[in-house]
Amino acid sequence: MNLLEVSKQAFVIAFLLYCVAFCFYVVTITGKTWKNRDPKQHERKWGKISFVTTLLGLLSHLVYVATRWAWSGHIPVSNMYEFMTFLSLMIIVAFTIVYLIYRKELVGLFALPLAIVVMAYAAVFPRDVQPLIPSLRSIWLYIHVTLAAAGDAFFAVGFIAGLMCLLRTIDFKGTDKSARRQKLWLEITFYSIIIVVGFIVSVFAFRASGYEAVFTQSAEATEQSSGTKEVYNLPPIVAPYESQLESADSFLGMSKPLVEVPSWFKGVNAGRKSNTIVWALITGTLLYGVLRLVLRKPLSEALAPALKGMDADDLDEISYRAIAIGFPVFTLGALVFAMIWAQQAWGRFWGWDPKEVWALITWLFYSVYLHLRLSRGFHGRKASWLAVLGFLVVMFTLVGVNLIIAGLHSYAGTD
Amino acid sequence: MIKNTKCECGHQNPVGTVLCEACGKPQFEEKMENSGELLEMRYDGVARRSQRANPNFIDKVWNFFSSVKVAVYLIIITLVGAMLGTVFTQETMFVTINPETYYKTKYGTIGHIYYKLGLSDTFNSWWFILLLVMIGASLVICSLDRVLPLYRALSKQKIRKHMQFLTRQRVVYQGPIHENSAAWIERAVTPLKKKGYRVHTEGGALLAEKQRFSRWGPYVIHIGLIVFLLAVLFRGLPGLHMDEHYWFPEGEITPIPDTHFYLKNEKFTVEYYTEDEMSEDFKDQGKVVPKLFETKAVLYQCVARCDDPLAEPELKEVHRHNIQVNDPLNYKGFQAYQFSFENISELRSVQPTLVDKETGEVYGKFKLTMNDPDTEYQVGPYKLVLKDKYMDFGLDEQKRPISKSGEPNAPAFLFTITGPGLPEDGGQYIYFPYLQQQQYYGQDQLNQRLGGTNNKLELDLAAMTDVDIIEYNSYLNIRVDRVMPFVWTGLGIVMIGLIMGFYWQHRRIWLRVDDGIVTLGGHTTKNWFGMRREVSSFLQGMGIEVDEKSLDNGGNRS
Repeated sequence: MNLLEVSKQAFVIAFLLYCVAFCFYVVTITGKTWKNRDPKQHERKWGKISFVTTLLGLLSHLVYVATRWAWSGHIPVSNMYEFMTFLSLMIIVAFTIVYLIYRKELVGLFALPLAIVVMAYAAVFPRDVQPLIPSLRSIWLYIHVTLAAAGDAFFAVGFIAGLMCLLRTIDFKGTDKSARRQKLWLEITFYSIIIVVGFIVSVFAFRASGYEAVFTQSAEATEQSSGTKEVYNLPPIVAPYESQLESADSFLGMSKPLVEVPSWFKGVNAGRKSNTIVWALITGTLLYGVLRLVLRKPLSEALAPALKGMDADDLDEISYRAIAIGFPVFTLGALVFAMIWAQQAWGRFWGWDPKEVWALITWLFYSVYLHLRLSRGFHGRKASWLAVLGFLVVMFTLVGVNLIIAGLHSYAGTD
Repeated sequence: MIKNTKCECGHQNPVGTVLCEACGKPQFEEKMENSGELLEMRYDGVARRSQRANPNFIDKVWNFFSSVKVAVYLIIITLVGAMLGTVFTQETMFVTINPETYYKTKYGTIGHIYYKLGLSDTFNSWWFILLLVMIGASLVICSLDRVLPLYRALSKQKIRKHMQFLTRQRVVYQGPIHENSAAWIERAVTPLKKKGYRVHTEGGALLAEKQRFSRWGPYVIHIGLIVFLLAVLFRGLPGLHMDEHYWFPEGEITPIPDTHFYLKNEKFTVEYYTEDEMSEDFKDQGKVVPKLFETKAVLYQCVARCDDPLAEPELKEVHRHNIQVNDPLNYKGFQAYQFSFENISELRSVQPTLVDKETGEVYGKFKLTMNDPDTEYQVGPYKLVLKDKYMDFGLDEQKRPISKSGEPNAPAFLFTITGPGLPEDGGQYIYFPYLQQQQYYGQDQLNQRLGGTNNKLELDLAAMTDVDIIEYNSYLNIRVDRVMPFVWTGLGIVMIGLIMGFYWQHRRIWLRVDDGIVTLGGHTTKNWFGMRREVSSFLQGMGIEVDEKSLDNGGNRS
């Protein structure tokens, strides 16, 4: 078994350990109400078990990084799969640090699923080791990308704590306008997370079944010299603009696309991307529907009781603290070192490339957050909403820019 | 309007003071004398410059920029502007296409509107630059407005504070003690010092303070940002910045316009990954991935006869560097970056042999350089005078030879040859160095028509070693950026400020004992959790057991 195989195994083990740790966290929290036990002692004992399991997962995750690094000769942060995997690792690291400061088990209940989702999302992208192109062959790849991921991971923990603070403080019984609006938006937040899960589920389900459909697009439609082929790995609901179906596996008797992408929707693989989005929405909505049926109430309302033992101010402070720890790291990693590298590789430290602009937007966003925290009354719910929104900005910078806008940072494996 | 701004402790405060500079008693809240609301501890409640009575015009401008609220709005507008700037490709990303039509054809009506709104060049637009300048102004004024009064307030703190000042802090403890007040305060000094506090006592009162420097963090950040923004702004001045791209053919010394530098591309290398270096999965995709682009460069500086176009300049080698992506040449701020390359396989020179077609006698060879040929060559008994040179050979309507362009696509050389067996005034002979072009343009037929040499002589390539080929053309980005040191300094200062401000907290503990009751007030800039823990552990050391959470005074947070 070579190192690359070891690395693949370690990845899976880390993933499973995180899942187990998450289950343990569930036991930690729900078990407090079980009969015949002292809630405090139960929480201490199971909190420790969960945390140790998380650390074991982290260890395996580090083995993945080390072995893949050793095999390929470069740090595994050079494409989308490697980066997202690394981000999930950093989320666990950031969680570990925050946990060691505050000792709040509940943060784990929310941080682990986030890391798990990010890790699963990573596996959607091509997992092969790709050789480094000359512009990536630099020591700054190691420093810039890892630090940027670390900063983002702390923002992620800030998001987690902010979300928990919202769950804790929003009045689910309230009927006034503000309470209703807050409930709605919180539910929308959870719905969006479920959509991401839906996306991952549909990709893996059809990947496992080996589904494939092929389209050819005419030269006029793509504005290229020759017609192009597009391969779908999800059953086509949306076909590329002015395309011919070449072959498609049958799915539930459906073998023809229902609609075609409108002509104004352009870009590389516009058809396949919109088809994927449609699938994510369908699967996500189905998942959400099932959850709603099982729980018989909004997800946020169902989750809220788990946070009863938690102090809202503590959550608010954890969120603020995580962001305050992450901000200098992010500045250094995603802006300063990025500028130094850009100066070295491209001769200019700043070029208004979409990724650069979005890193700046993230930075501006969190600086707004930090300035607002100075003012009276800007804490708790208001600050938490910003922390949640901030994470959306972070994720758009990391993923959205590559998928939608591209530019200089469009590494291989993002299509 | 004249307000009485004298505190009951006798201190005269400036207008706008929230908390008395001396004793900390809240000002202007007579009605709420006993309210338990938390104090506004920002900038320690000192008056800021912007809170001056009767502001004039300059004061008003100052007041506008000194507001954090305005700063936040400026940042938000910049943020939204930057977002809009990433919706479609910016004009600066493409050079050759006309933006007027580009947006319409590529993105349709929305694209056209985008272009018309000027969003296609957001980051160079007047409004975006104005926003950055305003943020700069805000940075300076906000900082000055606060840092000076805050510095004053922190450097002359009174130890004994007003009771209200203590009980309205966010961390508060009040409880009885069973010993002499002076002794208790005395006993409190050591444990606080152990926790890293600087402790000052005065009668029955104590002030413990640590990591005050972290208060300056935000201002240091702002100074760094100002240095950075100024450096970027001055970058646009002439002479400070150069950014050009030039081709450097292999083996040639190429002058760099507008400088006294010449750069020789000794060798250009491009390497690709071999299959052994790829993973199994990747190999199957059959992609070719470049591994290395490298230009072995030698930099020369002209030391004499530099500006005379006729004279040969005297060059001195000053620097040598293998330019790679991520590893530019840098000589005293003059930089060359690997940008692109081209495989041209172009002739640099050939050494044709002059042969007698009839006897087969070889007269010798001479070196013909494509770019810079000599005007005369002596080969054996023959003298070749270069009459004309065509870089891109073609025939015009009258069938006269012309050069279609300056590009060396089809070089041809027209010689006048004199010597034995030839007419007195010599015969004309045209020569194409590229063999396939001799065929294509019909060198023999052309020479037949030119006559003169009577089909007696011929230029021939004897061996492949007589051909010198330029394999690659390396495209380098030549840059001079005199402001970079300031950019890096600015960013360095920002980082120092960030670390100061975010990884340390300014913590203060006030204690006073009145009639056997100790009152503790604690303040920190952030991380209240740690503050409470520290206070509770201190109290525990003093024999007072309190729950960390019960120290929290609740109410408004900052």
